[in-house]
Amino acid sequence: MKGQPDRLGRDERHHLQGSAIDRNKPLTFRLDGRDIHGFTGDTVLSAVLAAGIDTIGQRGDATLALSMRHAPTITPAALIGDTQRILPMERTPATDGADYVTTARKLGGNPLDRWLRRRGRSLSLDLDRPDALARPWLNSPAQDGPEADLVVIGAGVAGLSAALAAASQGLRVVVVEAAPFPGGRLGLFGTQEGEETPDGAVARLANAIARSDAITLLLGAEVFALRPGAVRLHQVEVLDGTPTGRVIDIRAPHIVLATGALERLPLFPGNRLPGVVGAHEAFELAQLYGVWHGGSALVATSSSPAYRIAMLAADAGITVPRIIDSRPRPQSRFIEFSRAYGITHAPGTIIAAVAPGSGKRGGLIATPQLSVDGYTRTEPSLTTERLIVCGGWQPDLTLWHMAGGESAWNPTSARLEPRGGLPGIAVAGSAAGWLSRSACLASGEDAVDALLGRPRQSVQEQLIDPIYETPDAAAPVGDTPAEGSPPAYLDSSWRYVERPRRTASRWPAWLPFAPKPAGWSLADTPQPLDIADIAAGVQLGAIPAASAGIVAQERVAMVVIEGAPSAPVTAARAAGPMPPPYLTGRYAGASLWSIVPEEKRVLDVGALIYADADEADPLRAIGVVVRVSGGNAVALVAGRQGQVVSVREPGRAISVTLTAAFLG
Amino acid sequence: MTGTAADFVIVGSTPLARLVAGLLAAAHGKTVVFSGESQAAYRLPRGLDLSVAPITRPETWALLGSALPETLKLLSRIGGRGAWSRLDPILFSGERTGQEGLAHIRHMALAFGHAVEPVPAAELGAGKQGLLLRDAVLLHRPVLEAALDSWLAQHHVRRFGDGDSLNLRTDGSAELVAGEERIEIRQTVLADDAAILAHAPALHWPPLLERRVNSTIFTEPTQPIAAPVMHQLDTGLTLLQQQSGQGIAAIGPGAIDPFAAALRALLGKERSFRQAGQSSYDRLMAGDAAPAVGRVGGTGPDVLAGFGPTGAFLAPIIARWLCGKADSAESAWLAARLVDRPAQSSPVSEFGTIA
Repeated sequence: MKGQPDRLGRDERHHLQGSAIDRNKPLTFRLDGRDIHGFTGDTVLSAVLAAGIDTIGQRGDATLALSMRHAPTITPAALIGDTQRILPMERTPATDGADYVTTARKLGGNPLDRWLRRRGRSLSLDLDRPDALARPWLNSPAQDGPEADLVVIGAGVAGLSAALAAASQGLRVVVVEAAPFPGGRLGLFGTQEGEETPDGAVARLANAIARSDAITLLLGAEVFALRPGAVRLHQVEVLDGTPTGRVIDIRAPHIVLATGALERLPLFPGNRLPGVVGAHEAFELAQLYGVWHGGSALVATSSSPAYRIAMLAADAGITVPRIIDSRPRPQSRFIEFSRAYGITHAPGTIIAAVAPGSGKRGGLIATPQLSVDGYTRTEPSLTTERLIVCGGWQPDLTLWHMAGGESAWNPTSARLEPRGGLPGIAVAGSAAGWLSRSACLASGEDAVDALLGRPRQSVQEQLIDPIYETPDAAAPVGDTPAEGSPPAYLDSSWRYVERPRRTASRWPAWLPFAPKPAGWSLADTPQPLDIADIAAGVQLGAIPAASAGIVAQERVAMVVIEGAPSAPVTAARAAGPMPPPYLTGRYAGASLWSIVPEEKRVLDVGALIYADADEADPLRAIGVVVRVSGGNAVALVAGRQGQVVSVREPGRAISVTLTAAFLG
Repeated sequence: MTGTAADFVIVGSTPLARLVAGLLAAAHGKTVVFSGESQAAYRLPRGLDLSVAPITRPETWALLGSALPETLKLLSRIGGRGAWSRLDPILFSGERTGQEGLAHIRHMALAFGHAVEPVPAAELGAGKQGLLLRDAVLLHRPVLEAALDSWLAQHHVRRFGDGDSLNLRTDGSAELVAGEERIEIRQTVLADDAAILAHAPALHWPPLLERRVNSTIFTEPTQPIAAPVMHQLDTGLTLLQQQSGQGIAAIGPGAIDPFAAALRALLGKERSFRQAGQSSYDRLMAGDAAPAVGRVGGTGPDVLAGFGPTGAFLAPIIARWLCGKADSAESAWLAARLVDRPAQSSPVSEFGTIA
């Protein structure tokens, strides 16, 4: 395939051929002046990744990976500067003949550097700029969207199940899904005994949705603001062959949040280098688009489904030298299957650090570390072209928190889970903390019942006994990074919250004058904290577990929806009376007087009045100038008609006469 | 700690609460229990600690002026150089009432020897007037809080722990239950708004204290504001320029969305922002906008409310007063601000601020 070094070949033996693309319909578009080859069904991002561009740019000294959660915005080259036409690379369908540029500022350098970078594996964006990956539509006005009685956010199995349940109750339903396809993350998790295949389950639900006149499915539509009764989203749709973005508001009394779960990033230096990829992203890119980087892939996980991607990769001819698992004695059907593939397992092991390799097409040097019950031992480094990591799954409660929902840290599962309720909003599926497919399906229906005030369903997890299927462990956390090591990020989004590094010192830490580690204040972090950042912060001890829920609520990336129901701002102070309340009782026996200075000048409001010109102690003042209007001054002063007093202005005293009582 | 009895329990999370607890123990030899979260490193601020405020009462300027050197000396000893800094905040207003208030504040500040300058209109926008106060002190809560916690431990102030329970009684006494241990506490001090809202007896709620919805919004980096701290008198909205990353923390009245709208209107297009964090919560304000201290109902728990940003700087005076060791001026100032006073025609009323 011309110009697509990271596209897997078409081979009957493997399942990573790209179910979304039509290899018989090649296309070419331009990005930043480069020709990108792809297929109909690609997104701009999947085609770019297939073209071997796996680096987004530079942040400080760190080179960062291009990924589905960390991709820039693009705009048609002919419309640079038109912020209304800016599109998200990951949600924009690739179209033949399109000509895009990335909107973020490029890295500097001399012309030769810039020319060489155009041919490399990087988009060469300057990520140090605060607005590098800004989404301009977050501040765009919205148009009215379709009318609905119930909005389902997320078209995984829970969302689809909720939509069908609501439609069966006669409600008009809108289902909103950010991906180009329904189905969510089901594919990676495989099946349990007696279940239909993931593809079969999604196809069955999607077909039922398609047959229903009551359900509207919006794909490529990402919800970025939520309040009770109001949803705001950005959708990319193809109009006359041209991808176009729009922001719409949907008002509905009932909302089901089926936003799924986010994959956690294990914490080690270099965890966002190009070549490091999450297990679900690796699966989705390969399964939908046939995109895979490199011929070897090391897997490091704390969750069993990552073993499945290892086996699928092996089927596709990828060398999997080892699967590293932070759990000391993991058991799983996937693990048993993978043993049959001859893949080496390393339980009780984490990745301590990753550094860039020296190969022409990148490559990584990963350093494993045995880490069991407090004992640690660094293992020999491994060279790999790709490192697939999985730190478990965090329910995506971003919108739940945005709407005012509460959550609490579950120490057993090491994740935030929703608590309580919100008027008109219910959480379903893995966002609600459910794990099994059957529970997710049932929870979708139950969410609709809860919203409609109907009798609730019993939602039961159907999990394999932990003896045979070890639950996920918390995201692996390595040692504190050393000064000078690559950054260890808390999450893979564009927030860039880093774990603090050790401070090098020639003095032992126990000495009283040795430099103390700098305090880590997440409160000062000048960007929102994604929910995975919060979870990592709890694991690192920066956020107490008891406060994780409230911090997640406080630090969610809130976007205002105009017109959404809310309490008004406290009214500004009304025009004050004369004298203002803050002067009440200040001067014993004082009343309002018109005053006239002995020299022609305008007095200052607030100037203190003394019985004589030599006094300057504010505690001995007898009054104050309270209003000056049209050259006439009024004072609050304890005095008598005709009395001459002294007004103290900066640098001098001015004699004034109390001419008459001020009556207003 | 005697193990069976304590003189005070201080409930609250602010620097004022910590300083009062520590001073009662360290300077006055009292046995103290402290119940408050250490949260400045990860929670959004609900207030700030600044040595100046929209104060119009001369006796308050005088008290603050006398307390500041003592407090700074203490803070420097506890928290080192990173615990506070000097800066030049701006008070500003776009309305006549507020601008008159500014004029009073300006003359009062000048009379007490503060360097005060008018702010050029170009820095504030059309129709607004501002006052820049030189060399005010801002406490750095994330740094200071950790240092204060160490200081409390050093002076054997007992921290309320996980699993402990605190039973407050309407007569102001309390009982701390920690496992098998029971500690009888003679007097409770509810030292911040959250503590008062959570624990003040509903039956004896002081009519002076009004509950108001307040919000904090933390912005992503945007164009810097005219001063590190700015306070709008008309609305009570306070802006704090963050030291790291050029974000702004805004604290003020209203629920989040309308507050965000007010903030956008104030900052204008040139400082358009995205929200990096937000929270909404209840704050307390005395009906006359002055501080409120003393025992609820005359015999209940002590409250410390309505100090605005200056409370922490008055901590030594408050601690002395709680022990009956305040001097006559201090006692007179605090006695005039008892929480049971009427709000109408109050001889201590202030222009007012919450943050």
